Amino acid sequence: MAHEKINGCVILKDLHYAVEDNTWVRKNDDGTVTVGMTDVAQNLAGPILHAKAKGAGTGRKKGKPIATVESGKWVGPVKSPINGEIIAVNEALASDAQLINRSPYDKGWVVKMKSEDLAADLSALVFGEDAITAYKAKIERDKIQACNHIEGSDTYA
Amino acid sequence: MDNEGKKILVIQTHGVETPTRTYSPLFYAMAAAAMEMEVIVWFTMNGTNQLKKGEAEKVQLDKTSNVTLKTMLQMAMDSEVDLRVCQQSLELWNMKQEDLIDGVEILGATSIIDLSLQADHVMYF
Repeated sequence: MAHEKINGCVILKDLHYAVEDNTWVRKNDDGTVTVGMTDVAQNLAGPILHAKAKGAGTGRKKGKPIATVESGKWVGPVKSPINGEIIAVNEALASDAQLINRSPYDKGWVVKMKSEDLAADLSALVFGEDAITAYKAKIERDKIQACNHIEGSDTYA
Repeated sequence: MDNEGKKILVIQTHGVETPTRTYSPLFYAMAAAAMEMEVIVWFTMNGTNQLKKGEAEKVQLDKTSNVTLKTMLQMAMDSEVDLRVCQQSLELWNMKQEDLIDGVEILGATSIIDLSLQADHVMYF
């Protein structure tokens, strides 16, 4: 999968990002989207102890929490990157929240959503090379430390 | 159950002399803020002294981490948790407004009564 590592943090090029909120959006074939936390986000949080998503059927405006995530040193929201409705939550996170640490872009997805206006939502996010550029700037500006990957994390050659 | 929009008041009476009692109230406050609740942390009695400039930096529960009590206070403010301090308890510690870290509002004793009555839940430490 096309990706780039910035200070050890993996950014996939086929995702749409809300860079300031450290979330990603994957467009699914059925018109829904999958949403998760970035590698940068899991690194900032540290090993995650609990992840609690809002239930399916919850309407969310962009910026409102779709989940709360807590580690030993941090607790905070995962903010919705789009306007829409949660249609599914990743039930696996209830018993293994560190899936977000080990597989932030795959098994550690947080929710699936249906957008009110997908084209408008995606146009407000950054994609591909633009995302790489944006993350390079963010990591430098915020002095984000090199991403740490716990044992069993997905590898990107 | 959706608790978004509810009001939580956290009352902190412990200060820098009891480090292990300082982090958790702030952590709970941040958790509530992350859940879209309105959160106020009210510092009174000994709790007031952790807001004195230069004091919170000295409290570090985990020596392997660079997180101090000052970090926790700043993270709480960044999470939109309101930090407020009791006017009368400032005098107890011989502190003035200029001694406080930035971002803390001073209120009188009547305010804590109003805030308690307006809150959906009060957590007392």
